[in-house]
Parts: sequence; C-alpha cells; structure tokens
Amino acid sequence: MRRYETIVIVRPGAGETEFSSVSDKVTGTIEGFGGLIVRTDRWGLKKLAYPIKKEAQGDFLYVEYAGLPDGVKEMERLIRIDDRVLKFMTVKTQEVFTPDAPKVEEPAAESETSAVSADEASE
Amino acid sequence: MVIKKKKIFNRRKVCRFCTDKSLMIDYKDVKTLRNFVTERGKIIPRRIYGNCAHHQRQLTEAIKRARQIALLPYAGQTQQ
Repeated sequence: MRRYETIVIVRPGAGETEFSSVSDKVTGTIEGFGGLIVRTDRWGLKKLAYPIKKEAQGDFLYVEYAGLPDGVKEMERLIRIDDRVLKFMTVKTQEVFTPDAPKVEEPAAESETSAVSADEASE
Repeated sequence: MVIKKKKIFNRRKVCRFCTDKSLMIDYKDVKTLRNFVTERGKIIPRRIYGNCAHHQRQLTEAIKRARQIALLPYAGQTQQ
C-alpha cells in the first residue's frame, strides 16, 4: 500500500449535506478498494488564491489515507465528474505504508513526496 | 585592502532550514511559503536568502504544489 493525501475543493454554496456527500464519496471509494483512511480534516471555507470556476472561495477537504493506485484512480475519476468539486489534488507521501501502525504523522510527509496528479475539472 | 573591501559583500548567508531542523517544508504550510515568494507570487531566488540547493528544491516543489491547489497564486495580485 502507498500513502496518499488528497485535497478536494468543494463549491462553497453547496451546504452541509452536499459537502458530507462529497466527503463520503471520497472516503467510501478508497475504502471500497481496500484502502484505509488515516485522517480526514475539514479546513473550512478558505479564500482561493485565484478564482476557480468563477468561485473566489472554496471549502477544503483534506484526506490522508493508505491505498492502492487503482483506488486513487477510481476516486479521482468520480470526483472529476462531480459538479460540486472545483478542484482536487492527490499527493503520494510514502511509497510503502503498512496501515497496521498509523503512527508517525508529520516526519514521513516530506520524505518522499511526488505529485501523482492534479486536475482542474474546469476550462 | 582588497580582502577587507570584499568582506562587506561576502556576508555568509546560511540556509534557514539547515540551521533550524524543526522547520519543515510543506506545501500545506502557506505561512512559511509566503516568506519565499514575492508579493506578486514569484519564487525568490536562493541567492537572496542563501538557502541551500537541497532545501530550495523542496521549497520550489512545495510552492508549485500550493499553487495547484490555489493556496498560493500563480501570478500575484496585479493591482492593490
């Protein structure tokens, strides 16, 4: 398994239920492919550095997980279709990760980072 | 003498991340990254702050990632 983290920017006007449904979609897909969620975090409404799909703000969802490449691929395919998602980015943080011991939080993050993909679901 | 004259310009700059090991470069940490871009969002060359090559590389990577996910601008505010 590999360790990834994904940031999803959700359209701000969507509301609570919409947000959690996006969040469930992301976590559900990963778990469906045998992945393991380490941490999910909602950063809340943040100002975007540049407008995406004419939105100046975005609702940020951060998910850290262990999973297989297929799971990531499928999850990205699904949220690319989703209208409520402005943009997302997945970063691989660790090549080998055994989910039995989800201990070290930060030190691993910088060791082996390489962007898997980033995609703007617009323009 | 020549050497003394030169000394003024040869103030040794040390890499901030090498001196302080607790400082981590992370693309999510916008506050730190802000120090290394200009007001218009351009990456500041390492000759200015004296970062070592290794950390400057990590920094560039982090800034570019932060740009992708709209935490940092590609091109800064034009007016203001």
